[in-house]
Amino acid sequence: MIDNKNKATPIAVKVDDLTVAYNYKPVLWDIDLEIPEGVLMAIVGPNGAGKSTLIKSILGILKPIAGSVSIYGKPYDKQRKLVAYVPQKGSVDWDFPTTALDVVMMGTYGNLGWIKRPGQKQKKEALEALEKVGMLPFKNRQISQLSGGQQQRIFLARALVQNASIYFMDEPFQGVDATTEIAIINILKALRKAGKTVIVVHHDLQTVPEYFDWVTFLNVKKIATGPVKDIFNDDYLTKTYGINYKVSLQK
Amino acid sequence: MSNAQLEIQLIASIVAIACAIPGTFLVLRKMAMISDAISHSILPGIVIGFFITQDLNSPLLILLAALTGIITVVLVEYIQKTGLVKEDTAIGLVFPTLFSAGVILIAKNANDVHLDVDAVLLGELAFAPFDRMVISGADVGPKSLWIIGSILIITIALLFTFFKELKVSTFDVGLAASLGFSPAVIHYGLMTVSSITTVGAFDAVGAILVVALMIAPPATAYLLTTNLKKMLLYSVGFGVFSAISGYWLAHGLDASISGSITTMLGIIFLLVYLFAPNKGVIAVLYREKQQRTEVLLLTFLLHLKNHTDERERHVNHLNEHINWQKVRSKTVLDLALKNNMIKFNKNIVSLTEKGDAFTSQAIDYIITNEDAQIEDMKDDFFLFRG
Repeated sequence: MIDNKNKATPIAVKVDDLTVAYNYKPVLWDIDLEIPEGVLMAIVGPNGAGKSTLIKSILGILKPIAGSVSIYGKPYDKQRKLVAYVPQKGSVDWDFPTTALDVVMMGTYGNLGWIKRPGQKQKKEALEALEKVGMLPFKNRQISQLSGGQQQRIFLARALVQNASIYFMDEPFQGVDATTEIAIINILKALRKAGKTVIVVHHDLQTVPEYFDWVTFLNVKKIATGPVKDIFNDDYLTKTYGINYKVSLQK
Repeated sequence: MSNAQLEIQLIASIVAIACAIPGTFLVLRKMAMISDAISHSILPGIVIGFFITQDLNSPLLILLAALTGIITVVLVEYIQKTGLVKEDTAIGLVFPTLFSAGVILIAKNANDVHLDVDAVLLGELAFAPFDRMVISGADVGPKSLWIIGSILIITIALLFTFFKELKVSTFDVGLAASLGFSPAVIHYGLMTVSSITTVGAFDAVGAILVVALMIAPPATAYLLTTNLKKMLLYSVGFGVFSAISGYWLAHGLDASISGSITTMLGIIFLLVYLFAPNKGVIAVLYREKQQRTEVLLLTFLLHLKNHTDERERHVNHLNEHINWQKVRSKTVLDLALKNNMIKFNKNIVSLTEKGDAFTSQAIDYIITNEDAQIEDMKDDFFLFRG
């Protein structure tokens, strides 16, 4: 088994028998998943495979009907500060009256907890994160005045400022230009180098071998998980996407 | 100005502030209509509370009515979650039902007391100063001033304490949940404050004005600012201004105070909607016109750059081929000249060095398609500055 080779590395995220259903239809079915520390992992699967649902259930945003999730061996509630989340760009109202810097500052709220307010220290952290994603010149821009790629970078900066150990990202490459895509993947690779675990819902199968070192195939049930070089092959792609996966690859 | 007049304006202003604060978040959460629902469906809560307490100003009555407000929200969300109807339909189903239940309760059981539907819908601010608060024999002011004043103080305290949480859960529910700020707690907290404010305010100003005061000032402020704190401040400002100017409008016209305040809210919104510097209708129209001319200019410059052949750049030829009418051609030519983009040589138009550089950069922009770039480019070349 693939997992055995990595016995030495601790497990960052462990999912046990997770089932999520809307009404009667299971969206995720009996998922067992172990994500070792320090990987840059893609979750791939066709539309409606439950990729976003998996991330949201791990983060406690959706309530599963069965199963449990642990982050470094403890429930998510106790390990919140170790985890950062980048939602899909379309999930928020970009006309909200706020600036780029302010959105990034929101990343610091988790460590502050209830009631306590952000101060100079949090502002400094936010500015540093903005610089890392190359958005410092736009810090006072109203967020609706940013392009899609810039908005995605702001979201990334907001996750960076959380200074977490595990990063969950829901389609960070959706609707961004090529330059931004490269900028984002470089930041993700830098995170992995720093020993962080990065989990990305990903759509573009072609870039998987180039961007990621770990991959999970998902289609309601988990098909496979492991190093890209071992399991990213026709066999599993067909199992996940059906016989016509090459068509979706070309898209 | 008599004491009573001053008190009325004070009550109206405080109601306006107390409504503008939760209203701002309701508008940003696209839940403005829920305030309408709450303001109507608290009626049965008030009636039942009145049966229990026999006192229209009892705090228990306010709490019971606020509870009906929360029940409204829960019912709306429940119906909506079934997926059988949309949110607006769910709202439209819930509040008339609860409101009419209240109307029947009044008609059946409370015909002989001062609790009628007109008062609930429209309120009567003019009578507010007559209902005094008396503590151990001393008159300390109108009752409604005390009620709404206490509500305002609690609202402001909650706003300062939970501003950060309100902001993050309004902007990004998913992030708020993953950071441990339960969106449900904040959501129902906001609904509770909105309900209590509505109950506290409607006795003085009526259900319709409460809705107007919750929605119109934040909607107006939203057009003027891109900063949440400023939006709150502007909302409060517009609310208070409408309250006081509305009072004097009613005074002059000898009309309903609530009605006049609501009219003022409408007028202010209309003015801002038309004349707001960035999002206003006129500003948008002007910008669109400007953009159209800019695009025409770019097209024209690109044409010049594409054709080195003199024949293609002759003035007459341009007129024929680009197929623009005289006025349009003249606007574009003038603009290009004003910005030193082109020069004439015996009716042959050619690009200046600056025009050439600008056009190259513009092509670059079109190919790479980076949105932010064109704005900087305009600055670089002092375009449209005369």
